Amino acid sequence: MTDEATADFGFRTVPAAEKAGLVRRVFDSVAPRYDVMNDLMSLGIHRIWKRIFVRAIGAGPRQALLDLAAGTGDVGLLAREWGAGAVVLSDINAAMLSRGRDRALERGLVEGVSFVVADAERLPFPDRAFDRVSMAFGLRNCTDKDAVLREMRRVLKPGGRALVLEFSAFRIAALAPLYDAWSFRVLPALGERVAKDGESYRYLAESIRTFPDQQRLEEMFRSAGFSRVSHRNLSGGIVAIHSGWRI
Amino acid sequence: MTETDPAPAPQAVDPRLLEILVCPLTKGPLRYDPERGELVSERAGLAYPIRDGIPIMLPEEARRLDA
Repeated sequence: MTDEATADFGFRTVPAAEKAGLVRRVFDSVAPRYDVMNDLMSLGIHRIWKRIFVRAIGAGPRQALLDLAAGTGDVGLLAREWGAGAVVLSDINAAMLSRGRDRALERGLVEGVSFVVADAERLPFPDRAFDRVSMAFGLRNCTDKDAVLREMRRVLKPGGRALVLEFSAFRIAALAPLYDAWSFRVLPALGERVAKDGESYRYLAESIRTFPDQQRLEEMFRSAGFSRVSHRNLSGGIVAIHSGWRI
Repeated sequence: MTETDPAPAPQAVDPRLLEILVCPLTKGPLRYDPERGELVSERAGLAYPIRDGIPIMLPEEARRLDA
């Protein structure tokens, strides 16, 4: 009998050891059109969510921010432009991160931004290195989410805060059928037409629905050792910002 | 990337970043090898590559030192 550890991959269950590779293939595949697709998929609303998220991070000029799943830089670069002292952008996917670096150069951001390819489950930073740690639309793609939350806490200074922006449980029942149709019919079709990659976008839609809801993610923050854990719904809970402090 | 500089040498890495990076496995110190463009973790026996100026801190992408 085999008793291998497993992980969610959309609606499928896969051996834990395989998830990272599958996710990497999804993001290698979507990287070139990722920004365009985000706009299409969310009707541009992801930009508003990210702006609210960066404001919630609230990193000031004397603070260092680690932005995980930084991807093409939407959150990390905006945080730097809005006054964060130093920002390290990190992602497990080099293709996404080099797009982020190119965009930083286009926007004239050189000082105070740096880029590292890393696995959020095994961060290459010492304990108590950052004032803020953020992760937008990344946690659901991680294999061991509890390990990621523990790592986020470990690299925070005491008094530091971790924030996660992620899809969550939509709380407006009357609009649920519309949201379902959008997720499972429109998104894969859009992915097929625009990015020629319906499979990857089907994974993205499914992974949104298997992600822990608001209460469950709060519990996971507490289990990882965070204090004063809270969440805030955006757009009726389509996404939520969870946060916890290292005291 | 740019055509102004013919140097194929690894791009410079942000020195402040090098100061804070540790080995993701041992959380121990790294030695920067500018010749090979690598970050060496003696304790883990791994050398992490730097590609296009970006450190790749993934053990599965690292070169084993004993090999």
